[in-house]
Amino acid sequence: MHGVGDSTRGELIMAEMTRHERIMTATHKKRADKLPFFHYWRHSQIGWAERECRNRGMGMCWERPPYISKMHGVKSSETQVVSSGTVVLRRTYSTPVGSIYLDEKREPGIERWHELRSWRDVLPWQTDRLIKGPEDYKVLKYMVENTEYTPYYFPIEQAMDWLGDDGVVIDNMPHSPMQMLMINWIGSEGGRFFIHHAKYPDLVEDLYRAISKSYEPLYEIAAKSPAPIALCGDNIDGVLVNPKLFQKYFMPEYEKQARALHEHAKLMAVHMDGRVGILKDLIAKTPIDIVEGLHSPPMGDLPIGEALSLWKDKVVWTGFPGSVYSLGPEAVKKHALNLLREVGSGDRLVVEMSTENLVSNENLLMLTSVLENADLPLTKEKIDRIERSLG
Amino acid sequence: MVRENYLASLKKSIINLDFKAVVEVAKEAMDAGVDPHTAITDGMVPGMTIVGEKFESGEYFLSELVVAGEVMKEGLEIINPYIKGDSAKRLGKVVIATVEGDNHDLGKNIVTTLLGVHGFEVVDLGKDVPTDKIIAAVKERKPDILGLSALLTVTMPKMGEAIDTLKAADLRERVKVIVGGSPVTPEFAESIGADHCAVNALEGIKKCTEWVTPRGVS
Repeated sequence: MHGVGDSTRGELIMAEMTRHERIMTATHKKRADKLPFFHYWRHSQIGWAERECRNRGMGMCWERPPYISKMHGVKSSETQVVSSGTVVLRRTYSTPVGSIYLDEKREPGIERWHELRSWRDVLPWQTDRLIKGPEDYKVLKYMVENTEYTPYYFPIEQAMDWLGDDGVVIDNMPHSPMQMLMINWIGSEGGRFFIHHAKYPDLVEDLYRAISKSYEPLYEIAAKSPAPIALCGDNIDGVLVNPKLFQKYFMPEYEKQARALHEHAKLMAVHMDGRVGILKDLIAKTPIDIVEGLHSPPMGDLPIGEALSLWKDKVVWTGFPGSVYSLGPEAVKKHALNLLREVGSGDRLVVEMSTENLVSNENLLMLTSVLENADLPLTKEKIDRIERSLG
Repeated sequence: MVRENYLASLKKSIINLDFKAVVEVAKEAMDAGVDPHTAITDGMVPGMTIVGEKFESGEYFLSELVVAGEVMKEGLEIINPYIKGDSAKRLGKVVIATVEGDNHDLGKNIVTTLLGVHGFEVVDLGKDVPTDKIIAAVKERKPDILGLSALLTVTMPKMGEAIDTLKAADLRERVKVIVGGSPVTPEFAESIGADHCAVNALEGIKKCTEWVTPRGVS
C-alpha cells in the first residue's frame, strides 16, 4: 500500500492495496482494504470478461512446482493401446524388480492448451492405475525410493516476475503420501484404495512410509523457494478421508511439512474442497496456515463462517462452488451475498473464483460485481449497499 | 456347527470386515448343506444391514461400508455356484450409470452393492456411459428406476441430457430418475427434472425402496 500526501487536508490518504498486498495481508491474518478475490491462472480464460474482472480487483494466482524429479534405474515408455474397447495411452515403468503400467484416457485439447488439461479443463483419467494387485507394490516402492528431488526455482521466479503485484505465486506440491496412494496410485474407483487398505495393510503402510521418507528433501526445497506459500496438493474430503485415516496418515505428514516451511517463514496451504465437517476438529489441531479451496454448502458441508470461527489461527481461501455456477448468475449473486453475510468482518478470508472449473463470463462478472466493493470490515450496511447496487 | 451358527458367523464376518472368515465360513456352510439362499438372506444380508446402521450412526465410515460390500462379494463368490436358477424375489429393477465424461464410480458402486443387498435387480452400466447407451438400457431393460451419478460439475449437465432424451423418446413417465454425487444438489436435480437427489447412498436406497413398495406395505 502506498501513502499519498493530500496537502489540502493535511492527511495521508492510503491508496488501494495491490491485489498481491490484499491477498497476502489477509493471508497473514491482518485486515486488507477489501475482501481479496482471485482466479487461478489455469482456470482463467484470457479475454474481455477476464480483463474486466481483473481491472475491477480480481487477482491471479499461479501454482508452480519448485522442484524437478528424476527416477534412477527406472525406464519408462509410452504406447497407444486399446483397453476395454477404448484407445488409451499406456505408460510402463520398468525397474530391476519388475514392471508396472498405467492407462490414461485423454480428451481433446491435452498438450494444446496448458498442462495436461483438456479444452474442458479436465486432466487425463487413469483408467488403470499403477497398483492393480499386491505384486505391484514392490515395484512402486522401488520407484519411490529411487526418486531424487532437486530444487528448480526458475518457474517460480519467472511467474513472480511476470505477475508482479497482480496476485500471488505459490509452490505446487504433490499429494501427501497416503493421498497419493488413494487418488493417484491405487485409486479410489470402486473403493479400491479402501479394499487394498483392508486386505493388504502391511503393503499399503510400507509404501506410505517410503513415500513419506522420499518427500523429506522436497519439503526443504519448498521451504527455500521464493514463493511465500506452499500448497500441498491434497484433495481432502471427509467422506473419502475419514477421521481415522486423517489422524493416522495425514496429520503427521502435515506436521512434518509445516515444520520445514515455518522454519523459513513460509505459509502452508492444503487443498480441502470436499465435505470436511467431520474433520473440522482435527483440522483445527493441524499446523496448516491456509485451508485452501474450502467449499461452502451445497458442495461442502461446513459453512465458511463456522470454519472461520472454529479455526481462529487459520485463513480460509474459499472456492466458489461449481454447482452454484451451474445455476447461473442470479444464483451466483445470491450465494455470494450470503457468503458475505456469514463471514463476520471478512478477515482471514480470500475468495477463489473457482478451484475446479472454468467459469463462464457471465458468472465471473457477477461474482466480481459482488466482491469488488466488499470493503473490510464487512458490515450489514455495506453488504446491503452492494446488494442494492446490483439491482 | 449348527445352521444358526453358520449364519451368525457369516453375519459376524461381514460386520467385522473379515475377508478370510467370510470365505472359510461360506465354504463350511455350503459343505454342511446350508441352503445358499438362507446363507445370504439370513446370514450376510443382516450383517450388511448392521454395517449400514453403523454407517448411519457414524460408528463406521464410507471405507467400512465399501469393505463390507467387498467382503460380502467374496462370500457370494463361494455361495452363488450352489444356487440353482434365479428364485430370488426382486424388489424392483434399477439401471444405474456414471454419466459420460466422468470416471468416478465409488458412490455408484456403493449404491449398486446396497441395492443388491436390499433385493433390487441392478443393471450397472458402469462409468463414463454415453447418454444413448443409458436410454437404450431403459428401453430394453424396462427398469423401475434410473440412477445417474456424477462427481464433476462439468459432467452434471449430462444428467439433464439423459432426462431430456428420455422425454423425447416417450420413456420419461415409465421410470423414476434418481441422481447423486458430491456436487449434485436438490436444486440442480429439480432444475433438470429428476425425481430425487440422493443425499447419500443409504438415503437413496430408502427412496428407491419407497418408490417400488406399494403404499400401505412396509
